[in-house]
Amino acid sequence: MSDADHQPSRTRVPMPIAALSDPHMSDAARHPKRAEGVIAIVLFASMVLFAIAGAAYWQNWSPWVFGGALGGGMFALGFGLTAWGKYLMPQGPFVEERHTLAGTDEERDALSAALYERTTVVVKRRKLLGGMFAGGAGLFGIVALFPLIRSLGPLPKNELDVSNWKAGTVLVDSNGRPIRRETLQAGGIMTVYPRNQKIVKDGEVTFTQQGLATDQTVLIRLSDGPLPQPTMPGREGWAPDGYVAYSKVCTHLGCPVGLYERELEVLVCPCHQSMFNVRDGAVPQFGPAPRPLPQLPLGYNDQGYLIATAPYDQALGPAFFERTT
Amino acid sequence: MRAPLKGKFRTQFLLPAGLLSVAAMASLAVFFPGAGAGASGHADASQVSTNAKDVLKACGTVNTKGVSPTPNSGNPFTSTNLICHGGNLIAYGNHAITYANPPASYIAAGRDLFATTCSSCHGNTANGTMIVNGKTEATIGPNLQGVGAATVDFWVSSGRMPATDVKAVEAERRPTRLTPQQALEIAAWVNSLDPAVPAVPYPHLNGANQSVGADLFSLNCAACHTITGSGDALAYGTNAPSLQNKQVTSQQVVEAIRTGPANMPRFSGNLSDAQVRDITSYVTGRLQHPTNPGGFDLGGVGPVAEGFVALLIGVGGLALVAFWIGDRS
Repeated sequence: MSDADHQPSRTRVPMPIAALSDPHMSDAARHPKRAEGVIAIVLFASMVLFAIAGAAYWQNWSPWVFGGALGGGMFALGFGLTAWGKYLMPQGPFVEERHTLAGTDEERDALSAALYERTTVVVKRRKLLGGMFAGGAGLFGIVALFPLIRSLGPLPKNELDVSNWKAGTVLVDSNGRPIRRETLQAGGIMTVYPRNQKIVKDGEVTFTQQGLATDQTVLIRLSDGPLPQPTMPGREGWAPDGYVAYSKVCTHLGCPVGLYERELEVLVCPCHQSMFNVRDGAVPQFGPAPRPLPQLPLGYNDQGYLIATAPYDQALGPAFFERTT
Repeated sequence: MRAPLKGKFRTQFLLPAGLLSVAAMASLAVFFPGAGAGASGHADASQVSTNAKDVLKACGTVNTKGVSPTPNSGNPFTSTNLICHGGNLIAYGNHAITYANPPASYIAAGRDLFATTCSSCHGNTANGTMIVNGKTEATIGPNLQGVGAATVDFWVSSGRMPATDVKAVEAERRPTRLTPQQALEIAAWVNSLDPAVPAVPYPHLNGANQSVGADLFSLNCAACHTITGSGDALAYGTNAPSLQNKQVTSQQVVEAIRTGPANMPRFSGNLSDAQVRDITSYVTGRLQHPTNPGGFDLGGVGPVAEGFVALLIGVGGLALVAFWIGDRS
């Protein structure tokens, strides 16, 4: 290919020569003098405002003065610049000529022929090398998938189905203090956590005073005495002295269900307004929650502290694919 | 630079603070005649006790049914300063909050006020009225006997009672129709019918820790009242009221925490008096007087309002500027 091949498609265009007498080169504004005055005032205002901002910084004035002056100065500067370009620059219209972009038919045919010659014919002469290269690249692609899959993390196994609440786990408040029978009055609520939990994660054993975020449980005292009937059939004895405990993790999307209305005996989820009646097993009365909040069966240990008499009987929180309970 | 500041501090802060504390002591003495008597040891029946049975014996017939006996959590049991006089519970509490019943001399005036402003719904003896419509019964005014003086004082002093609309879902906070003194008088009479606790609290905020209070607020209160205290809607037409209202006094905050008005839960044994005092100090301090270093708080209601303003004013303004720049003059 030589330069001569390109000649037919390239047209040379003479550069237009600017002349102030050309009507295209006149100012866009109808009254350029007036526009110039206004822009000058705006730009001067930006100078004043920047000076004020500097003084405010130097003298430690109110941040409102500093921010206002800095912002106002920048606005005036930008406004002046934009107005200058808009009103006091040549208005055009200007036309820039250029050559056609498409090549000629001969050029295209020559390119196709060259590509075919250099790939199919020349490469296929070395079949062994081609195969080895494909094998190497393919193996690399498969190996590169390993870290990608590993980055998805370990398999959850049954972690989502069990919590740190076991039979006999002591309920504690946010300071780690255990709860006694007299801690709450009827109409009281508090968030409780499982005490002294052994957490095994990636082979490391740690002890936590308060379990994990998903272990958070709301403890509500509905009445001074025992409830007239269990919160659900089959939950007899789960609510000693009017105490009921429900998982604080919403069964919809896992928000903390912490809004308790004492007279209505309703727990409200702040995210999507699911409502759970705590006297009736926290069955959703309204909102998108699909299942009742899991209830924790309560009792006392020999020291008089409130404990869980059994683990939660189902997985806590929102649904997941392998959920069975 | 330092010396004049020190002088300024002395004249502008220490002196008024000293005068204020003297005035506070004087007003305390006026408020709690029993307190002074107990301290000076002249009262014959005053005694300090840590045993619940002794409390009942010394203070006559105080209805403590269902009251959490956890120490220093709004109840007279194991209270560090317990004052009983003539078989009546006068005051109890500790360094954080003093709970005091209104003086017995208020009872007569309270009876008259109750008869004119409250009895049409709550009944002549404050035991509530019901309306029977066929087989269904509806409470017009609940029974007030045995609720304690703090409950009555909260509802009246916050302007919620006397109610304007008895059919309303909630009695909203309104400008008060009765003075604080009249609220105490009504509380005195209602409490005399069936003496109970909690008594009217007087928090001592000078030793409070607002930082601890903010933590406790986010743990116990922010779920409903929101983290900025602006209040929020709840279920069935109810709402958690705004606490940013500067009319909310520290006394009313303690009363609400300890008595649980309407749908608010009642916080007893899980919050000590010192913790309640810290929360109260935060609510009437930083929360009611935010500094808003970022400029406007836009009601402090969260990202929806902020995003709305950013979209409407920010993006809208940018669009207008873009139109102006691109427009041919």
